[in-house]
Amino acid sequence: MAVKHLDARGLKCPMPIVKAKKEIDAMAPGDQLEITATDPGSVTDFQGWVKTNKRAVLKEQRQVKDETGRDLYIHLLERTDG
Amino acid sequence: MSDHDSGTVAVPTLDVGELLQAADRGDPLLLLDVRNEDEVKAWKVEAKRPIETVYVPYFDFIEDEAGSVARVPGGRDIVVLCAQGGSSEMVAAMLVDAGVPARNVRGGMVAYGEYLEPVAVPLEASEAERFIIWQINRRGKGCLSYVVGANGEAVVVDPMKNTDWFAAFAAAHGLRVVHVLDTHIHADHVSGGPALAETLGVPYSVSAGEGFELRQPVTPLQDGQVLAIGGASGVTIEVRVMRTPGHTPGSTSYLVGGRYLMTGDTVFVGSVGRPDLGGHVVEWGRTLFTTLTERLSSLGDDVLVLPAHYAGVQEIGADGVVSGRLGTIRATVPELQFRTADAFIESVRAAVKDPPPSYAEIIKVNLGVSSAPLEQITEWELGRNECAASAKRAAQG
Repeated sequence: MAVKHLDARGLKCPMPIVKAKKEIDAMAPGDQLEITATDPGSVTDFQGWVKTNKRAVLKEQRQVKDETGRDLYIHLLERTDG
Repeated sequence: MSDHDSGTVAVPTLDVGELLQAADRGDPLLLLDVRNEDEVKAWKVEAKRPIETVYVPYFDFIEDEAGSVARVPGGRDIVVLCAQGGSSEMVAAMLVDAGVPARNVRGGMVAYGEYLEPVAVPLEASEAERFIIWQINRRGKGCLSYVVGANGEAVVVDPMKNTDWFAAFAAAHGLRVVHVLDTHIHADHVSGGPALAETLGVPYSVSAGEGFELRQPVTPLQDGQVLAIGGASGVTIEVRVMRTPGHTPGSTSYLVGGRYLMTGDTVFVGSVGRPDLGGHVVEWGRTLFTTLTERLSSLGDDVLVLPAHYAGVQEIGADGVVSGRLGTIRATVPELQFRTADAFIESVRAAVKDPPPSYAEIIKVNLGVSSAPLEQITEWELGRNECAASAKRAAQG
């Protein structure tokens, strides 16, 4: 099982989802994708997107701050066999 | 799926003002809202007439472009809306690619939240010769600012944070702003008052009231004080300062020409200001009751109330203005029917809702205690205002 990181900092919607979809489509079942985003809208967007798509589940979402105090939104997805 | 990276496909666009004007007129639009379900539940575009709306989240288009395009009814004037304008641009491009005419609402809900619509308040003929009052309606938030002009001079009351807009508006109407006023320390939006006054080099006045540490430089105003606007050439209009505490301890109303009362959040067209945001609902509620029943009793029924907020499009009058005669308001607003302060406070307490989002941070910025980058403020201000003690929410389309 591999974990891949996707840097979506500074990207506004729809780009975090567009990029995550490309990665997920290329992954094997069980692989994980950790996305780091700065758009607060990405939180509900990833929740909504996994309801539509059958190839990924949302394992975890958390909010942290980077060294400059900027909010980062971390989303952990796992590729399913769907 | 074809690659629809934002910005690579040119699609026709319209701005929020064009969208609202078309929807207000009842043009046969189909609004395709591509935000996620939570965002849709929290906040929608409201026009004076219902807008026919279809909801298909943008990530459905990413997953299944052809299938999602097929879900959009054709043969209509389709306008696509999202949170910031990026996802809707992608979706509009997919529709255009599929041969379905569609336009993107530039800036999305963020632009809707910032959009300002000026409407002239109808005055009596004798008044219109001397002065003009514009109500500046921030449609997406239900916030109202005012520009009062007389003989080349103007005061601005409760300006929003986009101060450039207010400066340009006054200049475009040949008015030199001479004073910037806030009715109170706002809790739902960041005031443009201090920045506008500083840019223009004119006095700024707000009263925070007891218990607040105000760090903005302000020109204090006394109860009953009169500001004369347009005096340079002899024709003046009086703006009388009236202390109307309760919503906040410093809340102040401004009476223009003896007949037009900018009440801030003291009294609205259909409700009164909530007195609970300072954590002293009984004390501030009692003060508000005294203001409403005693202070305002000196004013006649024909005084036109021009509030700082409204609860929904149903409060926009046929003349496009949110206003109400004081007599009508006294007779119809439920909170003004109580005979005792205790009954009033009880009712207001029972109706208390969640405070406006981020209100503590917004108050700090408005007091001058802290500052925040524009992006942060925009995020704090998302959504409708929640400043009334009881808001009859508009039916959302």
